[in-house]
Amino acid sequence: MTELSKIRNFSIIAHIDHGKSTLADRLLEECDAIDRREMEDQILDSMDLERERGITIKARAVQLHYTADDGQTYALNLIDTPGHVDFNYEVSRSLAACEGAVLVVDATQGVEAQTLANTYLAIDAGLEVLPVINKIDLPSARPLEVKAEIEDIIGIPAEESPEISAKNGINIHAVLEMIVSDVPAPKGDRNAPLQALIFDSQYDSYRGVIVYVRVKEGTIRPGMDIRMMATNAVYKVVEVGTMNPLGLTPGDCLAAGEVGYITASIKNVSDTRVGDTVTGVEQPAKQALPGYRAVQPMVFSGVYPADGAKYQDLRDALEKLKLNDASMVYEPESSIALGFGFRCGFLGLLHMEIIQERLEREYNLDLITTAPNVVYRVTKTDGTTILVDNPLDYPDPMEIQLAEEPFVKASLIAPQEYVGNIMDLATSRRGEFKDMVYLDAHRVELHYEMPLNEIIYDFFDALKSRTRGYGSLDYELLGYRPSRLVKLDILLNGDIVDALSFILFADNAYPRARKICEKLKENIPRAQFEIPVQAAIGGKIIARETIKALRKDVLAKCYGGDITRKKKLLEKQKEGKKRMRTFGTVSVPSEAFMAVLKLDED
Amino acid sequence: MPLFGKREKTPLGLYVHIPFCRSKCEYCDFYSLASKDDTLMDDFQKAICAHIRETGHLAPGYRVDTVYFGGGTPSFFGGDGLSTMLTAIRRSFDVSDNAEITFEANPDSVSDKLLSRLRAEGFNRVSLGVQSDDNQILTKLGRPHDYAQVVSAVERIRKAGFSDLSLDLMYGLPDQTQQAWVKTLEHVLKLKPEHISCYGLKVEPGTPLARYWELANLPDDDAQADMYLAAVAILKQKGYQQYEISNFARKGHASRHNLKYWNGGEYIGFGPDASSDFAGKRFSAIRDLRGYIKGIQNGGVVMREIQEVPPKERAGEYLMLRLRTTAGIDAEEYQRRFLLPFQPLEGYLHKCQERGLAVKDGSRWHLTPAGFLLSNTVISDLLLLQERSPALRRPDERGLHG
Repeated sequence: MTELSKIRNFSIIAHIDHGKSTLADRLLEECDAIDRREMEDQILDSMDLERERGITIKARAVQLHYTADDGQTYALNLIDTPGHVDFNYEVSRSLAACEGAVLVVDATQGVEAQTLANTYLAIDAGLEVLPVINKIDLPSARPLEVKAEIEDIIGIPAEESPEISAKNGINIHAVLEMIVSDVPAPKGDRNAPLQALIFDSQYDSYRGVIVYVRVKEGTIRPGMDIRMMATNAVYKVVEVGTMNPLGLTPGDCLAAGEVGYITASIKNVSDTRVGDTVTGVEQPAKQALPGYRAVQPMVFSGVYPADGAKYQDLRDALEKLKLNDASMVYEPESSIALGFGFRCGFLGLLHMEIIQERLEREYNLDLITTAPNVVYRVTKTDGTTILVDNPLDYPDPMEIQLAEEPFVKASLIAPQEYVGNIMDLATSRRGEFKDMVYLDAHRVELHYEMPLNEIIYDFFDALKSRTRGYGSLDYELLGYRPSRLVKLDILLNGDIVDALSFILFADNAYPRARKICEKLKENIPRAQFEIPVQAAIGGKIIARETIKALRKDVLAKCYGGDITRKKKLLEKQKEGKKRMRTFGTVSVPSEAFMAVLKLDED
Repeated sequence: MPLFGKREKTPLGLYVHIPFCRSKCEYCDFYSLASKDDTLMDDFQKAICAHIRETGHLAPGYRVDTVYFGGGTPSFFGGDGLSTMLTAIRRSFDVSDNAEITFEANPDSVSDKLLSRLRAEGFNRVSLGVQSDDNQILTKLGRPHDYAQVVSAVERIRKAGFSDLSLDLMYGLPDQTQQAWVKTLEHVLKLKPEHISCYGLKVEPGTPLARYWELANLPDDDAQADMYLAAVAILKQKGYQQYEISNFARKGHASRHNLKYWNGGEYIGFGPDASSDFAGKRFSAIRDLRGYIKGIQNGGVVMREIQEVPPKERAGEYLMLRLRTTAGIDAEEYQRRFLLPFQPLEGYLHKCQERGLAVKDGSRWHLTPAGFLLSNTVISDLLLLQERSPALRRPDERGLHG
């Protein structure tokens, strides 16, 4: 058990690519937490995908032992955070486990959108925010201006902030000293009833779920009976301990102020929800820690194996992913067009992309995904109300009395010169302007009420490109509101391809239908016959393109005996056909499905 | 096979690749050098002869019934060289008396001397590169001759006593219209060749044309398809039988050598980048003239990609190659040779027939001209169906399992 005064719990927050993970690595090295030879770059981001995208998807935590200039040794608990609006809730829970946050700002880029968004999250969580100016060794670094920006825009002192280069290990010592001196030591009564905040969990095939917690009050020991206050699940603690960069170190107990892990033969991560409070069965806490929210998938999409024979492999892969990601849901569905697959629910579009990429990479699957959609609420003429997360289940227009879609309150922050752009964007996405607040002389926060459906496609990307990366977005669900919705069907050679159907706002139907038909025409290879591509609402055709019949696909010259090369060509063509799905008489490559998903890119 | 008496020898084709040209044509991706380096040509000739000598004893049960000198430009290499190589072949292989012996020629390198020399050595077939009758197009393609030279070459080839002449034509050329193509055919038919090959221009990666083809005003695929169909119709009307996608001949004048490639016959290639299918293996020589010469001289590696072709793959080749010919594939032969069911293919071929792409003729299936144009799609569909069909059991296995 470490004395409270010798503990510092902190996160590192930053805009993407400002050097968060690199700084984390240097802190680890400086504390000799890991042998340099064993050091894999950016060890905190242990998933391949995270390293590649340069973002942290799942939070991780690590304990460092640092002997400060005052001669004392401190336990520094670094809690890493994901950095995307899809994971805002996870970020907020990680921050709630800390007393301080090191804010990394790129000395060449200055304050950017996520700098602000993350800083406000940290301030909301009551954290001490400590700016650090990174990349000062770059020729274009302008540390003084960036410090002034931090003071002006964010309003926190930055004059004394360390100027560092995480990449080249410059001034890392100053960061550690600052953490010791400026991050408040945690408080808490170690004899009080247990209250421990779950900020992450991870499935391990030997130990079951490893639950990452910050103990706020009380003490947790092996053998103790614990209860998850939101799910009411009860377990007996098997082991507690702390995380070091290369593994887990078991200990006697975790006491108030400490960050560590618990194992308790927990089979399922969905029993250990992020934000939930762990308490003792014998001496329970009166109430849970504030801020818990049950995570609701917001975006649904059909996920199918490109090769129908791989259905079982996809099922196994989803089961395994689910062990580690309680926020994803899935259930089997089948489509006439795509055969057997799964309807999957995600926190947002990035979450969806990440899961899909992990399935493809880690499980070596080739996937076809259908257009993402939100959950619609339909009241039928017979008075019953249904929730529709799959366009295939959308009732016939004649049976619909009232159709509703989820709306959100969106908060958009950006420097004032982009206000016009943001307004154009939000209006084009059916946003209803509510108000505008000046956060300071430069920055403005706009509030809109808009359909969630308009946000899930590519709103975040569109916002960033219209604000040169400065815009940030957050949203909260307002509930269902009546809307004029239609289901759009796509027909190939006269047959409806069910997997391409989707629900959308009636006024958007015509332009969208036209665009989809165009995209499909571009992406479906010409066949031996002409293929009409049509879009229809309730049987009425509203757009049409024609894929002309293929006339010529031949190797005119095949002599001189060089058969091998030609053979390879035809083999390749044959293999390509395996990636196609046949609908009636039309073969559709999986790229065509992808192209339909990316309608807004041009 | 008779138990007594003389055993019938297996026919064999020989191909000699002559990788020398006066200049490189813009579209060509065959291996050749635009060079007249006498030392290099001499070394090459020696290497070919040595390669032929080394190989001859590997084929004791074979009789060579076709020899083909291709390139490059064999006529550019010269009469003495080709004659020396043919002599080496006759010394090392059993070449039958009525063998078809072809050399490729360009109109700018067929002197009377060369022609009479080669005719005397036993060459009996000439394949002349014409490509077009339009001098502007010929210049654009980088051809080293004009059409007047073509006419003169044909006259002199006939005078030298060659009764088997093939002309190579191309369609889908820069600025070419359907009308111009039809005129080209009519023009060329006046030269009365026994054999015509018509190849659609294809932009091959790595060729000069590949760098600027977008600017070359090439007819699009649909236009090329129309040109092809026009050629098929015109040639048919003029008494040329189509026997392969791009090849047409008067009766009895189909190229026996080239038919080997499509009918699964055996052949051995000499020279860099020459391919062979012999004794169950496919192999090619390296695509590097100096490396080839050195390899032959010092006993080094000259072959790449030596592959034993398993029966399953032969079944794929059967479809891929036979469907290039108007004889097509035979259901019974297919099942017997490869022990694979023909039925899944037949279902698909019936669909092709409905679309006018294939024709059934007894137990045979062959593609129509429209089908030839789409042969890649048809063949790759068939290959997929083939891959997905389980092998038939051998008749004796059926017995075992009752």
